Amino acid sequence: MLVNAYSKRTFNMAFQFSGSYEEAEDLTQEIFLKLYNSLSKYNFEKNFSAWLLTLTRNHLIDQYRKTKWEKKIRDDFNEYSLVSDTFTSPEEGILKEESKKLIWEGFNHLSSEIRMAVILRDIQGKRYDEIAEIMSLPLGTVKSRVNRGRLQLAKILKEKKEDKNGM
Amino acid sequence: MVCKGIEELLSPYLEDELNPEEKLAVEEHLKTCQICADLFSFMKETKESLADFPELEVNENLINQLYSIPSKKKRFKLSLDFLVRPSLQPIFTAATILLIMISFYIFHPNKNLIDKSIDRQIHLGFSKIGRLYAKAESFTDSLAEYKDNILVSIKNVKFFRENEE
Repeated sequence: MLVNAYSKRTFNMAFQFSGSYEEAEDLTQEIFLKLYNSLSKYNFEKNFSAWLLTLTRNHLIDQYRKTKWEKKIRDDFNEYSLVSDTFTSPEEGILKEESKKLIWEGFNHLSSEIRMAVILRDIQGKRYDEIAEIMSLPLGTVKSRVNRGRLQLAKILKEKKEDKNGM
Repeated sequence: MVCKGIEELLSPYLEDELNPEEKLAVEEHLKTCQICADLFSFMKETKESLADFPELEVNENLINQLYSIPSKKKRFKLSLDFLVRPSLQPIFTAATILLIMISFYIFHPNKNLIDKSIDRQIHLGFSKIGRLYAKAESFTDSLAEYKDNILVSIKNVKFFRENEE
């Protein structure tokens, strides 16, 4: 039941954070092993999803500090990207996919804590108060980290696009 | 307001979290500063792109591996269960005490004195045993000497002589 309900979101979070499909598979297994070992410590008054996200976040950041993924190259975004059919024209679709690819690569320039905050807010769509609970941080710190992450990514996107256009 | 100050407000502006005064200040700045206007546009694009990131399906192999984790864990747990059986507790206690004594002996700074003391005690023990053995031997010898006399005395007891008659 746990696997059916939570494997997809855990795997995707690990993939978005680490940027490597293989690494994400290993991390998901490690997280589930930790989950089974810690189930006895779970307080039933708390939200299970938030508790699992905290466990996932702690494991990902611990592993990041040990292995320093930022030095590694992230998997090619196009390999996993599914082009959406909601665009008005194929050109628009290509441009949007290009932006996503640049942002995906830009994640490597964010620190682990900022990267985690941006993933939780802008990819996973969590509320700020939920992120504050997951990351055990004050609300203001979370907002500040999300802001810094978005700024960094926006600057990277701007720089890469300008380079590409020969500006 | 300088650009640095505006940068801090772009994210809350994007999420409509500013108070009316701050909102007005940002809007006024974006009208006059092309660099900040571009940055805001890229930030908006970044946010929209992130929201549209693909969600990957988990492959079957990983799902199977995740399902097998509790049984693997159980097997491991069973294999170590014998260690917590109550019947083994006296053995573990004795082994612990023995190990403590051995480590006390090995790591004691005056190990030589302990060795000498043990030697002396063993030597004393051996000499005590030797003396006891010698006493026992002299007792058996004297018993052998008096054996015949004792037998005669027993035979001369009135009770036995009446039976013989």
